[in-house]
Amino acid sequence: MISKRFGFAGVIAAAALAVSTLVVPTASATTEIVVWADETRGPNLTKVIAAKGDWVPGYTIKIVTFSSYSALGAALDKATGTTGPDIFVGGNDWVVASAKSGKLAPVTLTASQKAQFTSSQLYDLTYAGKLYGVPLDINNVGMIYNTKLVTTAPKSFGDMVDFYKANKTKLSLKNGLCVTGGGMSWGALSVFSALGADPYLMTGRGKVDTARGFNPTTFGTNMKKYLIDPATGKSNGFWASSNTTCNDDFYSGKVPYSIIGNWEWKTYVDKGFAMNLQPVPSVKGGYGHMFGSVSGAFLTSFADKHGVAVGAKSLLVNFFASTAGQVAYEKIEGRPPAAKGAQADPTVSDAQKGFGVAASQAGIPQIGAILDNKAGGSNYWDSSSDYWTQTLINGKDATVEARKLAAIWRANVTAAQSLL
Amino acid sequence: MRGKFALIAKIVFLGFTTAILALLTESAFAQKQYVIGGFILVAALALNIVYLTSISVPFKFFLPGILFFIAFVIAPIFFTVQMSGFKYQTGNYIDKATALEQVISLGAQPDAQGTTFDITVGRNSSNEFAILVSDIANNKYFVSTPTQRVDVPAASATFNEYGVAIKAPNFNAMSADALAANDAYSKIRYKYEGDYYIAIESQNAGGVFRQELTYSAKTGVLTNIFTGATYVDNHRGNFAKVGDPTVLLSPGWRAPIWFENYSRLVTDQKVRTPLIRVFLWTFFFALFSVLSTFALGLILAMSLNRPIRGRRIYRSILILPYAMPSVMSILIWAGMFDSDFGAVNSILHTNIHWLQNPSLARSIVLLVNLWLGFPYFYLICSGSLQAIPNELLEAAAIDGANPRQVFRKITLPLLLQILSPLLIASFAFNFNNFNLIYLLTGGGPTQTLNGEIAGATDILISYTYKIAFGTNFQDFGLASAISVIIFLIVASISMYGLRRSKVMESFG
Repeated sequence: MISKRFGFAGVIAAAALAVSTLVVPTASATTEIVVWADETRGPNLTKVIAAKGDWVPGYTIKIVTFSSYSALGAALDKATGTTGPDIFVGGNDWVVASAKSGKLAPVTLTASQKAQFTSSQLYDLTYAGKLYGVPLDINNVGMIYNTKLVTTAPKSFGDMVDFYKANKTKLSLKNGLCVTGGGMSWGALSVFSALGADPYLMTGRGKVDTARGFNPTTFGTNMKKYLIDPATGKSNGFWASSNTTCNDDFYSGKVPYSIIGNWEWKTYVDKGFAMNLQPVPSVKGGYGHMFGSVSGAFLTSFADKHGVAVGAKSLLVNFFASTAGQVAYEKIEGRPPAAKGAQADPTVSDAQKGFGVAASQAGIPQIGAILDNKAGGSNYWDSSSDYWTQTLINGKDATVEARKLAAIWRANVTAAQSLL
Repeated sequence: MRGKFALIAKIVFLGFTTAILALLTESAFAQKQYVIGGFILVAALALNIVYLTSISVPFKFFLPGILFFIAFVIAPIFFTVQMSGFKYQTGNYIDKATALEQVISLGAQPDAQGTTFDITVGRNSSNEFAILVSDIANNKYFVSTPTQRVDVPAASATFNEYGVAIKAPNFNAMSADALAANDAYSKIRYKYEGDYYIAIESQNAGGVFRQELTYSAKTGVLTNIFTGATYVDNHRGNFAKVGDPTVLLSPGWRAPIWFENYSRLVTDQKVRTPLIRVFLWTFFFALFSVLSTFALGLILAMSLNRPIRGRRIYRSILILPYAMPSVMSILIWAGMFDSDFGAVNSILHTNIHWLQNPSLARSIVLLVNLWLGFPYFYLICSGSLQAIPNELLEAAAIDGANPRQVFRKITLPLLLQILSPLLIASFAFNFNNFNLIYLLTGGGPTQTLNGEIAGATDILISYTYKIAFGTNFQDFGLASAISVIIFLIVASISMYGLRRSKVMESFG
């Protein structure tokens, strides 16, 4: 009998407790714009947005920070209309997959807003003719040289190789050039391009030149001339075949030239290196192309379901795409801002400007529709890093492998044409 | 007194559990996850019935286990099997209704110039939503509603410092707070010229668009009213252009394609070739790992099964690799074989790229797995050896059997009988040993220039992971189909092994 009474009491207590939880609001208010960002951008955005509370009159802004960039990506993969953000901040390489999957909503900018950005930057955030976000900052690399080892800026790729060969023993050099910013595919594009291999080229009108591929024989010949040791058929040591120790090797003077990412410059400045940045010089004396892509703030299709689409679009133009917003944000974030007005601001550091100049000299848009494409059997990212492995480490013929690489890249460009 | 306390503790615990489950149920239903919500609701009811009544005492012990088994074993298997019958990949995530809504929305195209205007949002004299549009370049101003457009003479409007009209006759601007509180105004298409309308693009800007794609619910056809192109459901998760089915509209939706993901495993050469190679390597890897770890563990157990000086110390040292978290061990091994800073190259004074060569990488995978796995078999072999009666061994020795014959004819058969289930479990574990491959080699090296898709050390589960999550293009449907195949293989081998060893019979 007692047990039964307690039993009923228990059920009632449990039910009361359960009902009490139902009155706790679980959804965001409809005037709250939710922005997702990674572990570095999130705290910086929170500070900047809190410092000026009225970026979008009538709305509050909530920044949700994820523990890493990949955690943010994983959360976006799982995001639904109920759980997803209204805006997220990420790289342009997310545009294709997110737009194809219906997670992004298009944005229309006014002529004056568009004029703040280059056509290449806007192209980076475009899929199938629609713009899905606003450019926030530039992702690119620049080549830095150690002035304790090298006194003048190299004019051509051959200058660097000659310096390495002449000083390898004397200066105990481990390599001549290595890449720390972006690894052996993204960061190493400038070396591919400097030697004559580009996954695609742009026309003067800012479109992909689908008629032009690279010449594998010329590229293979350059590989053999500059990077391959004729005795072993493998790397001659100038170009490091992996990027695991590049930073430390450059700091310690074992590598005179290094390709660094624009998010890394503070460490180099702190260590006393001058920001003498330039693109990688090509074998002909010009510059090798490098990805001058942008990170952007993207509008999601969830914003409309949350009833804050207008507020979110206003946040994009009032804050993320504006000179005032980018200046305030990049002062903390430290990347080169994308907006022209922000780039000209006196608070932008020399290093940030240096990367901006390098991007303007040799940047090409990072087009996910081509680079992620696997129509040729592999995407750009895997095939490019495999090329270095097969030639520099495994000693396979650079021209033969270049032909395979050219075929893969050509097929990918052709397959992506309908999406450009 | 003790009974009362236990009863109160039970009720409090049950109360909290029910409250948490109720919260989860509400959340699941709010997110339209009806199956999950229903299951949690049933679980909450079952818990209360079983623990608050005397309906079944055995159930009081079994129920939590049964619920967890359903939630974390049966449901994932069911979900994986279900997903393997769908086109569920990048571009085909959402449901058809949402996809259609977005396709139509993307069918609104801006005019050729990409015209945008500064606008002020408010209401007209009829209290309808209206926008006051400033065409500053042409010095034109007008108030627009969904049905009409009324020009406003510049002289009668009031402007802000940027030359944007903010007040006009028969127009009342709304405050930012009022607009934020109700976004109904933003979904309206305000009249412009001809087919074109103005859509709200931000709080103070509007763009000129026209709707090019229209949908007929009756026929299920999308039509571009300006080009005449039509698009129909291709029954594979997309609207495809009639006459050129390779032209698809994005986004697509998750669509049933029944057994196509399974047939791709056989018919699609890009899937089949790597899959066969990966399957053969997985089988070899799992078998070799079991045999090598068992053999080494047994040798060490037999060596230390006799009284020798310092036996306890040796035993403790041998267990150390097992005591250390495997993730840490694997990462240390990966570092040791790094070509740039690895200890192995450093000690040998070589510059070998251990993990870039397919044969070397496979050997390293087997070696590291041997290191991680032998202590386990050493432990269980030690225990099992002690369970073999000494009389048997002594009798064999008296009958003239040499130590090798004793091992082959008595020790090993008895050990195998005892350890068969563990050997089978070890095979199943290694068949799906994702951590080792992912952390040590990442499945590589992969010679993509030669058309390889899977890496030399990829096993089925790491290959499946790559298909599902490895790149920007994710194919959950195909990955689910491979997962189902893995499940069937492991389950079949385990069942066969358990039957052969007659282990299940001992449980009656």
